Amino acid sequence: MATPQVTRIGNGVYRVEVDGRAEIVHVAVAAGQHWVHWNGLVFESPFSEPESRTRSRRAHDGPQSLTAPLPATVRKVLVEPGAPVQGGETVLVLEAMKMELPIRSSGPGTVRSVHCREGDLVQPGVVLVEISAS
Amino acid sequence: MIRRLLIANRGEIAIRIARACRELGVESVAVYSDADAHAAHVSATDRAVHIGPPPPRESYLNIDALLDAARRTEADAVHPGYGFLSENERFARACADAGLIFVGPPADAIARMGSKIRARAVATAAGVPVVPGSTPADQTDAGVLAAVNAIGVPALIKASAGGGGRGMRQVRHAGEALAAIQGARREAEAAFRDGTLYVERLIERPHHIEVQVFADTHGHVVHLFERECSVQRRHQKVIEESPSPNLTDTLRRRMTDAAVRAARAAGYVNAGTFEFLVDMGHGAADDAPFYFLEMNTRLQVEHPVTEQVTGVDMVRAQMLVASGAPLPWTQEQLAQRGHAIEARIYAEDPATGFIPQAGPLLLYREPKIPGVRIDSGVREGDRVSVHYDAMLAKVIATAETRPLAIARLREALLTFPVLGIRTNIGFLIRVLDSDAFRDGAVHTGYLDEEGAALASEPSPAPPEFLRAVLAATSEGPSTASEVLTRTWDPWGTVRGWNA
Repeated sequence: MATPQVTRIGNGVYRVEVDGRAEIVHVAVAAGQHWVHWNGLVFESPFSEPESRTRSRRAHDGPQSLTAPLPATVRKVLVEPGAPVQGGETVLVLEAMKMELPIRSSGPGTVRSVHCREGDLVQPGVVLVEISAS
Repeated sequence: MIRRLLIANRGEIAIRIARACRELGVESVAVYSDADAHAAHVSATDRAVHIGPPPPRESYLNIDALLDAARRTEADAVHPGYGFLSENERFARACADAGLIFVGPPADAIARMGSKIRARAVATAAGVPVVPGSTPADQTDAGVLAAVNAIGVPALIKASAGGGGRGMRQVRHAGEALAAIQGARREAEAAFRDGTLYVERLIERPHHIEVQVFADTHGHVVHLFERECSVQRRHQKVIEESPSPNLTDTLRRRMTDAAVRAARAAGYVNAGTFEFLVDMGHGAADDAPFYFLEMNTRLQVEHPVTEQVTGVDMVRAQMLVASGAPLPWTQEQLAQRGHAIEARIYAEDPATGFIPQAGPLLLYREPKIPGVRIDSGVREGDRVSVHYDAMLAKVIATAETRPLAIARLREALLTFPVLGIRTNIGFLIRVLDSDAFRDGAVHTGYLDEEGAALASEPSPAPPEFLRAVLAATSEGPSTASEVLTRTWDPWGTVRGWNA
């Protein structure tokens, strides 16, 4: 492949000439992360293998720290410390954007601690429930 | 005629209504919560009034605040849009009592047709078949459970007051019923301030086909043909089109006749939609059984599809009819021409179970393509908030035939960059490319069942040349930071105007 020629043609818009073809690419940056759009596809840097985004959803047996995926209100806490949980079992119900979001355990284990109460407004990334491996 | 219209809504529908106001020479008034102070709909109108804090209960669902805003701005009419208070009988009545024209059906028509149980009675009396179901008088867990057992599984539990898939649960095994009842009730209370539940028989693999009707106060009732909305995820419509790829002329006539008959029987006025479930799996297409599901006593999200194939402006007609004028068209003047398809763009992540996404629209560029209409409620630089519906835009493609409309919509989605938060655009393209969609074979459960894999299909690896683009952008930090600052905070640049 020849070296791609990259020309900035607008705010966040680039034309890339590669092997005689012209491609239009849109780029935005925030907090050091690049978002790239090309031909209906969006990539987030650092570019990872396609499965990495779904890996966390697969069942696994290690300890888990369940977090809110977005700012949300805790509607229901369905477990308490010491309770055994199955893989796929709903442990919390959050509500955001008018929808209920069930938060499920990805594998079997025992609830080690619960860090939220019903009615709490929770932020993404904050650990809500910790589950130890069975 | 209406002189000044208060739009009791937000987002794309508020902007859509404001556009109709301008064309009619009607002044428009937006309302906004704290979260929407800089939202796109606020700059689409002639005036804007603050009505409260971000939670809908305290702003867009707050009847007193809305009426107060109408009084303060001396508005003489209110358009409720869709969602929020659009199907709230109390709101329609409160508007009428305050001397305001409610741009929608009169309160008693909302009461009659907005309640599923009364609407079914009206439909049945008009000779329109309905799906077996009931609203249990005893709304306790035990009462609703008894209703589920009486109807049998599979059953559907839904909010009596609602739509849009909120407060709705399927029950396939008796053991799931209790959790489904409690979940549906919580969602119904949160979304509609009314936890009343309705239980009905679940028709397997049905098509959702709805008929748009319009009636005036002079006794005219017309239909504006059908929309097929079978592409749904958890009862939330994703893609809508008109004409339906599944209706024969005979079946279309049977369904539109039924809708007009029911609208007349209901004494209905203004725009409304009769939703039907069609069982395509039984008998000849002309004789396919269809069942009245519910009526939406309001303008619908997918109304542009009908506007594109009939060439009319439904919001304008709503305002004329609400002002007491006759319908601007007769049935004979209405025709379906060509094909229109709408895709709803949501801020949600299909790869992680469609979790709604909140955050900044770092870059948001709507495609400009002839034959493509985009009704949107956001701009580049806006923040998508956690407080409201995650729909960003509707992309509507119109062409001579269905395959051409699909190709046009596909092209529009391919050239619609949205960066900063994840969206369902890639998922929409995969749906358009699926054989089931091309064949018109998608039923309402398809995306949750056979087609569920379309959601989690991994995206291809990025082509090598994208790395070259990233290298070029990060090489010159000024370029990258320019992209960042220019798209991050438009108000930063606007401020200069005041200096």
